[in-house]
Amino acid sequence: MSPAQSARSPAVPRRRLGARHWAGLLFVVPSLIFVAVFFLVPLLMTVWMSLHNWPLLGKYSFVGLENYQNLLSDDTFWSSLGFTTKYTLLVTPMIFVVAYALALLVNRAARWVGIFRTIYFLPVVIGLGTSSLLWVWLFNDQVGILQTVLYRLSLVSEPAMGSSGTALAAVLVSVVWKTVGFTMILLLVGMQAIPDELYEAAKIDGASPWQSQRFITVPLLRRTFALALILSVIGSYLAFDQFYIMTGGGPNNSTITVVYWIYRASFTYFKLGYGSALSLILMLILTAISIVQLLVLREERR
Amino acid sequence: MKKLLFAGLLLLGFSSALAQATITFWVRDSDQGFVEPLVKAYNAKGGTQVKLTVIPAGQFVTKFATAVAGGSAPDVVAIDLIYVPSFAAADQMTDLTDLAKALPYAKTLSPSHVRLAIYEGKQYAVPFSAEGSVLIYNKDLFKKAGLDPNKPPKNFAELEDYAKKITALGGDIKGYYFSGACAGCNAFTFLPLIWASGGDVLSADGKSATVNTPAVKDALALYRRMWQAGLIPAGAKADTGTNFLTAFTTGRIGMAGSGAFSIGTLKRDYPKVDFGIAPLPGKNGGSSSFAGGDSIGIPKGSKNVQAAWEFIKWCLEEDVQVQQFAKNGSIPVRSDLAENEYSKLDPRFVVPAKAMATGKTPYSVKYNELFNDANGPWLAMIQEAVFGRGVDEAVAKAQESFTKILNSK
Repeated sequence: MSPAQSARSPAVPRRRLGARHWAGLLFVVPSLIFVAVFFLVPLLMTVWMSLHNWPLLGKYSFVGLENYQNLLSDDTFWSSLGFTTKYTLLVTPMIFVVAYALALLVNRAARWVGIFRTIYFLPVVIGLGTSSLLWVWLFNDQVGILQTVLYRLSLVSEPAMGSSGTALAAVLVSVVWKTVGFTMILLLVGMQAIPDELYEAAKIDGASPWQSQRFITVPLLRRTFALALILSVIGSYLAFDQFYIMTGGGPNNSTITVVYWIYRASFTYFKLGYGSALSLILMLILTAISIVQLLVLREERR
Repeated sequence: MKKLLFAGLLLLGFSSALAQATITFWVRDSDQGFVEPLVKAYNAKGGTQVKLTVIPAGQFVTKFATAVAGGSAPDVVAIDLIYVPSFAAADQMTDLTDLAKALPYAKTLSPSHVRLAIYEGKQYAVPFSAEGSVLIYNKDLFKKAGLDPNKPPKNFAELEDYAKKITALGGDIKGYYFSGACAGCNAFTFLPLIWASGGDVLSADGKSATVNTPAVKDALALYRRMWQAGLIPAGAKADTGTNFLTAFTTGRIGMAGSGAFSIGTLKRDYPKVDFGIAPLPGKNGGSSSFAGGDSIGIPKGSKNVQAAWEFIKWCLEEDVQVQQFAKNGSIPVRSDLAENEYSKLDPRFVVPAKAMATGKTPYSVKYNELFNDANGPWLAMIQEAVFGRGVDEAVAKAQESFTKILNSK
């Protein structure tokens, strides 16, 4: 910057900044439009619909807060919320442990390591619906390879989807397989951002590999953990495809998630208004959970 | 040359003017096989052109409702007959009462289709395609078990006895199969066992539940006994319908409930399986069938009701029913055409065709919630009764849930 320019700048800033302000706004407008069209408008419509008795076919009528009142005494909703929470509490640590182990394995400069990273990441790029279908056939009672192996090893006497415990376990395995690569990449990036000097210093001080992990890697990965945790919790609370395809909510309605219930209310019972009310409540719950998570993790960062 | 071209263009202009209009026609994907040639044949006649849209069965209702709400409903729809009452109740279909009554063959049309097409005294659809449920059985296994392959079971006792004898062959072979976690499959193949025994799960007007009755309990008890005796493969419990027919095609299943559709599939893809077709029996004899299939109608908002009705009428003509529907492996919806040149080629087609005439179909605007919902009361009852605590608990609970749904708005 030349001295002349810097001398002149105090006279201009307001107008310049104003112009910049508008230019900035212009740049943001496209994404604002997207947010408005694809988030705000649908959200407001959902609120509007949730105040109506809104059948899939036919005329709708205003019912006020009736949908919300019904929701309070809806056993299926509460049990589905309980099941979704259980699923989230199970699947999140499972993904973390496996992803952490895999990240450690591929976080080195050995030959072929790129190939293994790719292999572990591969399931992430196929759709959840597709992968669920794949696992349905693996666990198929007549032709499924995995199911046959389980039978032969006498580990089970029933098809995996036949009882609620094994059905949930089968879904957990499939979801971990499908999503673990993504968390692994997140953790790997975090690990590679940690300067080597820290490990060297620790080594010189006589730290064991376990101590390096415990006192360097884990604390410095805290932010990555926070990101992965929030993504995993939100993703798990919105679980639908894997249960819809693999268990069909069974056996005996023991594996119905909240989104599954919303789907049923809307497209089996054709009650779009009630489905909207359920969706809004789920959104509020998820927002609350995310806020708590962020607060807790922010506290820890200090 | 130029003149010729001009004349050609003129002719083209003429014929497109004659071809009054194009009507749109929606069907579910399960009908694709016979509907595509059907529409081709209609369009080849000249005149009104039909534009066909095939929609995945699971999304049909949603897509249709969206189109209606958006003012772009098709001119003609063929829908699963069980949905007609709820479509009519929602005031989405054109009243066809007088047109349908005027059909010369009105009396021969599948009675179940017609009954479901009538809502509050008016008829909103006519039959389009038929699909009746039957018992399929493996003739080879019958022979091996010392049974007469031409004498399928006529009552529950025989069914159970044959299943025992076939299971006794050992290995992976089992006497009976049903998809224990599939709601629709069991509406199709289990309800007839109840009907054939003289019972029902809904009252005649479809407004109250009659689940807690002897005929329902007897049929459930039959399944429970067969399950507990190991006459049914363990996999049946978790089958959401993926093995509905697949299990039988392995050649290791003695008998199973199925539909007319399986005849074509088995003949084409599994020529090694020697199978027979029989009506689904009742407790002490008798038989029944789930008269399923599609009904065809004109949604409200169609801009071309006249042309739409012409097309529908054409679909029901004798020639079309035989040369299109029967030829392509479907069953005619007119009882006077149950036996035709194609059914003579394979008499197995006659069983479901005849069953259609006496078959039943539950009539309810809540059909989807009651029977088709994979998490609804119908499937819950079967699972509880067959695999769970027992028949009495199951029917008591189902009676309660059915009543609750039927009484809801």
